[in-house]
Amino acid sequence: MSDKPERLSSTQPADGGRRRFLFGASALPAVAGAGLPTGLALASTPARAALKTAARIVIAGSGLGGLAIASRLARELDGAKITVIDRKEIHNYQPGYTLVGTGIWPVGKVSDRNADLMPQGVDWMREMVAEFDPEADAVVTDRGQRIEYDYLIVATGLHLDYAQIEGMDVAAIGSKGLGSIYPGPDAAEATWRAMDAFRQKGGSALMTLPETFLKCAGAPLKVTFMVADRLKQAGTRDASRIAFHSALDNIFSVPRINDEVLRRWEKLDIPVTFHSKLVAIDIGSRRATMARPEGGRTEIDYDFIHVVPPMRAPDAIVNSPLPWRDGGFAAGSWLEVDPKTLRHRRFPNVFGLGDVNGTGKGKTAATIKKSAPIVAQNLIDVIAGREPSQHFDGYTSCPLLLREGSALLVEFDYNNNLTPSLPMIDPLQDSYFAWVMKYRLLKPAYMAVAKGRV
Amino acid sequence: MYEIWLTLNILFELGLQYLPAVIGTMLLWLMLFAATRPGVGWRRALLPAVVVGAIATVITFFITPGMTLSSFDDMGYWVDWMNLFFYAAAFGAVAAALAWPIAASLCRKA
Ligand SMILES: Cc1cc2nc3c(=O)[nH]c(=O)nc-3n(C[C@H](O)[C@H](O)[C@H](O)COP(=O)(O)OP(=O)(O)OC[C@H]3O[C@@H](n4cnc5c(N)ncnc54)[C@H](O)[C@@H]3O)c2cc1C
Repeated sequence: MSDKPERLSSTQPADGGRRRFLFGASALPAVAGAGLPTGLALASTPARAALKTAARIVIAGSGLGGLAIASRLARELDGAKITVIDRKEIHNYQPGYTLVGTGIWPVGKVSDRNADLMPQGVDWMREMVAEFDPEADAVVTDRGQRIEYDYLIVATGLHLDYAQIEGMDVAAIGSKGLGSIYPGPDAAEATWRAMDAFRQKGGSALMTLPETFLKCAGAPLKVTFMVADRLKQAGTRDASRIAFHSALDNIFSVPRINDEVLRRWEKLDIPVTFHSKLVAIDIGSRRATMARPEGGRTEIDYDFIHVVPPMRAPDAIVNSPLPWRDGGFAAGSWLEVDPKTLRHRRFPNVFGLGDVNGTGKGKTAATIKKSAPIVAQNLIDVIAGREPSQHFDGYTSCPLLLREGSALLVEFDYNNNLTPSLPMIDPLQDSYFAWVMKYRLLKPAYMAVAKGRV
Repeated sequence: MYEIWLTLNILFELGLQYLPAVIGTMLLWLMLFAATRPGVGWRRALLPAVVVGAIATVITFFITPGMTLSSFDDMGYWVDWMNLFFYAAAFGAVAAALAWPIAASLCRKA
């Protein structure tokens, strides 16, 4: 292809503008039952003229981000050769892990076949990208295949870096009071087994938060609220202690939500220790070692622990020229994208989507919902020889479980503005509606995102 | 506009999740219509159908919180009540739609 843009020199990232977006609609329950026949007529998507191109596009990763962008590009480009590279066969609905891990959903609800979600007209290579070579516009797979591209979309998600916690064994999740909902559906289910056993007797619960950027930064808070609720339901709350240890000086990056949650935890008797990072665990003796930035270490005995692993970009990104080279995002080797256009700042034929992006906010499915159409349009602009026309504002959404039956529907942007999708939603109000969103409506919305329809 | 599109998509995906129930309900509805003979009392059947719908709405309103692992205590503000009401009314509408051809046939016989 000759229409590839020139390499860009590094510029400072700019903040996103503000646009409100919806990750759920308040009137949905109204039609959730009776309106289904209307929905079934929705087999096609809104018509849009497809751009004719012979561009070769590689999409690394077929999680929510990879699927969403593949579906859009397959529809909106005519003649492009789109290759999705990812070995994963099962698509897991990760936002459901919180529900499985706290005993709300059965585990079967979170897994689907990737083949059922892969759009028609794309080549799906069941391999992994072992090497990104953006200087040569090529990727090399772990089976040694070299694939050249005109445009690359990096949607590899992130790496759960349990290895940073000495003594941690993911296979032991579910035993000896060890919980961690992150590695997958089985771990989430095992976490619930451990939590369920713990709540029968009560005791001491230790909840952790690492210092890195996290996918769904609300998840550790949700699990903490739910531990308190499960103990209360079992009648063992009074005999129990819940302690939250944050490696940071806050528990959530949006100040208003941070303060609101801390206020609620004070009432629920959940003390928080700041600047306390889980660095080692003795699973057999149920003992955690917490480190302070100035160097001190404390050992804490627990009956139940929720381990939230440090997170970073996957190795193939770490070992490539694609990550940030300095600044706060360099530590996790996050993808160096412009926060507004999500285009790589040095390789203009590369875009990033989803958890891998080095942006100030937004490692959520809600972010992908809003940013996938933006990345698709910006890529189409670039293919057509224009500058990217769409700007992302960092939208993120987090239905924060408070207890079984109630949640907060928190939505915000890069600038920490609370951005409720509908003006009547009060993000700081305990809400049944927010609960129903999380419990029933977000998975259907997520599936529509994966299919590139919303 | 976007919100409406999103809503329709969520309904579509929900419909796929409960496809057998959705198809079964639609088939039942069509069969009930097909079973009615010419000259049945469609207009007279409206009121009983609405009454059935209202009863279904009330029942759904009371049982939905429990069926969604919640309770009336968790209704935080008017948005919650409004959503619960619309949800219940939607089921009421389905019940009314099913009741209408049945009531119409009965009205004719009466
Ligand atoms: C416990 C939990 C709770 C959450 N709750 C919410 C919530 O309430 N709301 C919300 O909006 N979001 C939530 N999220 C976040 C949301 O699920 C993620 O942000 C989203 O799924 C990320 O999608 P992704 O495509 O970026 O990454 P992923 O879905 O992780 O997919 C990445 C894909 O890339 C593949 N890959 C990795 N490396 C390579 C490689 N080298 N070559 C090729 N392929 C590769 C992987 O196999 C994987 O298939 C939650 C997540 C978790 C874990």
